[in-house]
Amino acid sequence: MELSINGQMRPLADAAVDPGMPLLWALRDVLNMTGTKFGCGVAACGACTVQVDGAAVRSCVTPLASVAGKRIVTIEALGSAAQPHPLQTAWLAHQVPQCGYCQSGMLMAAAALLAKNPNPNDADIDAAITNICRCGTYPRIREAIKTAAASMRASNAPAAKPAVVRRA
Amino acid sequence: MKRRTLILSGLGTATALVVGWGVMPPRSRQGGADTMPVVNGEVGLNGWIKIAAEDGHVILAMNRSEMGQGVHTALAMLVAEELDVSLAKVRLVQAGPEKLYGNVAGFVASLPFHPADSEPGHETRVVKTGQWVMAKLARELGISMTGGSSTVADAWDVLRLAAATARAQLLGAASLEWKQPIAELSVKNGVISHPSGPQGHYGLFAKAAAATPAGDVILKTAKQWTLIGTPAPRTDLQAKIDGTAQFGIDVRLPDQLYAVVRHAPAIGGSYGAVDVDAAMKLPGVERVVRLGTYAGSTDALAVVGKTYWHAKQGAQALQVEWHAPPIGVVSSAAINQALERSAREAAKSEGGFAFYSRGDVKEAAKNAARQFEQVYRAPYLAHATMEPINCTARVADGKVEVWAPTQMPGAARAAAARAAGVSIEAVTVHVTYLGGGFGRRLDVDFVGQAVRIAVETGGRPVQLVWPREEDITHDFYRPAGVAVMQASLDAQGLPIGLTITSAGDAITPRWIERGMPALAGPIDTPDKTTSEGLFDLPYGVPNQRIANVATRSGVPVGFWRSVGHSHNAFFSEGFIDELASEAKQDPVAFRLALLKDAPRHAAVLKLAAEKAGWPGFGQERPLPAGVARGVALHESFGSIVAQVVELSLEGGKPKLRRVVCAADVGTVVNPMIVAQQMEGGVLFGLSAALYGRIDIVDSVVRQTNFPNYPVVKMSESPRIETWLVPSTRPPGGVGEPGTPPIAPAVANAMFVLTGKRMRSLPLIA
Repeated sequence: MELSINGQMRPLADAAVDPGMPLLWALRDVLNMTGTKFGCGVAACGACTVQVDGAAVRSCVTPLASVAGKRIVTIEALGSAAQPHPLQTAWLAHQVPQCGYCQSGMLMAAAALLAKNPNPNDADIDAAITNICRCGTYPRIREAIKTAAASMRASNAPAAKPAVVRRA
Repeated sequence: MKRRTLILSGLGTATALVVGWGVMPPRSRQGGADTMPVVNGEVGLNGWIKIAAEDGHVILAMNRSEMGQGVHTALAMLVAEELDVSLAKVRLVQAGPEKLYGNVAGFVASLPFHPADSEPGHETRVVKTGQWVMAKLARELGISMTGGSSTVADAWDVLRLAAATARAQLLGAASLEWKQPIAELSVKNGVISHPSGPQGHYGLFAKAAAATPAGDVILKTAKQWTLIGTPAPRTDLQAKIDGTAQFGIDVRLPDQLYAVVRHAPAIGGSYGAVDVDAAMKLPGVERVVRLGTYAGSTDALAVVGKTYWHAKQGAQALQVEWHAPPIGVVSSAAINQALERSAREAAKSEGGFAFYSRGDVKEAAKNAARQFEQVYRAPYLAHATMEPINCTARVADGKVEVWAPTQMPGAARAAAARAAGVSIEAVTVHVTYLGGGFGRRLDVDFVGQAVRIAVETGGRPVQLVWPREEDITHDFYRPAGVAVMQASLDAQGLPIGLTITSAGDAITPRWIERGMPALAGPIDTPDKTTSEGLFDLPYGVPNQRIANVATRSGVPVGFWRSVGHSHNAFFSEGFIDELASEAKQDPVAFRLALLKDAPRHAAVLKLAAEKAGWPGFGQERPLPAGVARGVALHESFGSIVAQVVELSLEGGKPKLRRVVCAADVGTVVNPMIVAQQMEGGVLFGLSAALYGRIDIVDSVVRQTNFPNYPVVKMSESPRIETWLVPSTRPPGGVGEPGTPPIAPAVANAMFVLTGKRMRSLPLIA
């Protein structure tokens, strides 16, 4: 079997996988691409979110057979320190992550949202980001998505506001 | 036994050791120049700091686990401040197993002293003695623990002193080499210079510094700080936004196998006949390993496979004859009834252990105009860390190597040694990032399991991963609790007597038994976790008796973010709000009237009220129809937090719009991280307040995964503002204190809308 992952065709030995294996485990345990996380195994938490043909997909319940011939994008290809996605820039500006475990999935879900909707309002964000975070980064994620959306609309370097911290 | 005697003997097995040992000076926490191993021209200056000779970078021994709470950044800030380097010039290396890296502050804080008796600088003699003995004991034991919101408090003096000493030695070395007085040298971002021209980075002086006495070391004053107190960006975030951060579950070693655990469904249960044929026939399944009990775990089977997926398929295919526990089958409904019975009986008879007594509650009852009594309840809770429970182990050539997301590396090492049957010196523990801890990773059951499996895999490393269902059904749960709250009210409705009698399981002795059996005592001593958040209230009620009946219900219980405060704050702040209603007073004004001798609490409460636009405080913010405010104030882990929530009801469910959080956390190292932790504390507590409940029937936990153990999501997340009261006190805790107030604040706001008091958690049944 061969999959298109982050713009590359990646062969998967037949002995290593079977068509019913969820994409998550091919990524994590066969290809050692560990940026995509396991959280619940039942598509409830979104830690395993990747993009398949541009749509946010929960890879823990996505059989390999269903993604053959489709474009898979994972956190590893979202952006780098040198060339960040606007969401990653906003994520740093708002100092979003805490433990960080859910953040790959959050970013991939947010990137799929912004690709469809360049100016999401609160309700759009609520509807699109149904991932679970136990550290409580939701308020910062919301602000970071708006910052990234604004910077992508302006298509120049984001000028994110600092995170909300005030001292009385 | 008198309370005082009990508390001192409560120092457990240590008491016998105190004689003789007590007069020795406390064990140093600075360590020697040779404590840290060095490579590639690094030079150790003390147990915490080494300097890279080639570029002058500072290498800090990191003794605490990063689980989201920002300690890798905060501790590096302490060192960077005193050494005058930027955060970018501090590199972290995992601290070794030496005792100097143990936690002292966290264990001292576990003593059940009332805050009024333990105000820094004004401690009573008993408090001083108890704290001194516990600190000395903690130094002797050297238990490395990340928990109890104690990391910065514990490191505050130790790390700053280590860094300032290193700086003094480096300057001393430069002074000798350049033959210039130290007073004329200055440091900028790790580069020492003299006005006459010479300059050089720390690395050039490191070797000489190691042999140069530090002389008098003086810490910077708060006015001299340039980094402490600033919202410096966290150093761990780039890796957490590009997928490169390595959590325990991301460890990948050559030839690695994966194992999936399947516990006996009943807590404490076991298995009889096991048919492995179907499992072994599946592709990618390598073997089945039988697991006994490791540090409190339930008996289980583990299936080893080529990937998690293969192992999981195998685990599902096992045919097993499961057994219930031979004795002690438990159900939460029966436990809740028993707890309520215990609390009610003890309330009638002055029973339980009185963690705090003041005045005479009987006399107060006689003089009261009326009595007011309510019963509050809280359920068991699971932690549900985002990163499922996991551990990677390799057992080869008599050596054991463990990669673990753990809050207890020393206990993990000991558990690994026990499981492999080797000496502790044969075990190396690598601490990874933790995908959430919340107290779950203070237990090391999964480490013993992983090592046991690795014993069977012929030297190949194996990564044990628990499916989410195993995590929810085999956790160490936040104990259920019940409290009978009784107040004697005067003619104006003000409380002149307060009696709280709670019942619930003690966590600490159970945790020590399973995780550190060598330290377990023969009897349970009073455990602060049962009564914290009840016995230590700031309110000036002249007559109080705050007692707890410590139970042993048979459910494995553990530390859960904010521990006893997590439910006790709901009890106390719900009840205080009820008393305000009984007195027909504003909830904020009523609390303030009882806080005349607690100025720090009053300041935090006022700040929250003002920022929230609470009527009568600052600029009032009128609320739309159908929206109400609720307030709660709570001290925990040395910090005081007040929260005001604004919420409406949507389909009978509370919908939070805004949370205003005010806090006095002592000196603030990084206000951005404090704000993050307050936000996180609020949302963690909100999930529990609205939905959190673990039900147990015949020892089997009914909830299994997020669909039936729901937590709040983006759509339910309010805006959260954090406001900090300036303080010059030493740093208090930050990771947990944001959690306790949210449940009562929500319940108190719902009362405004519905007229109904909610006295049981979760609020949405």
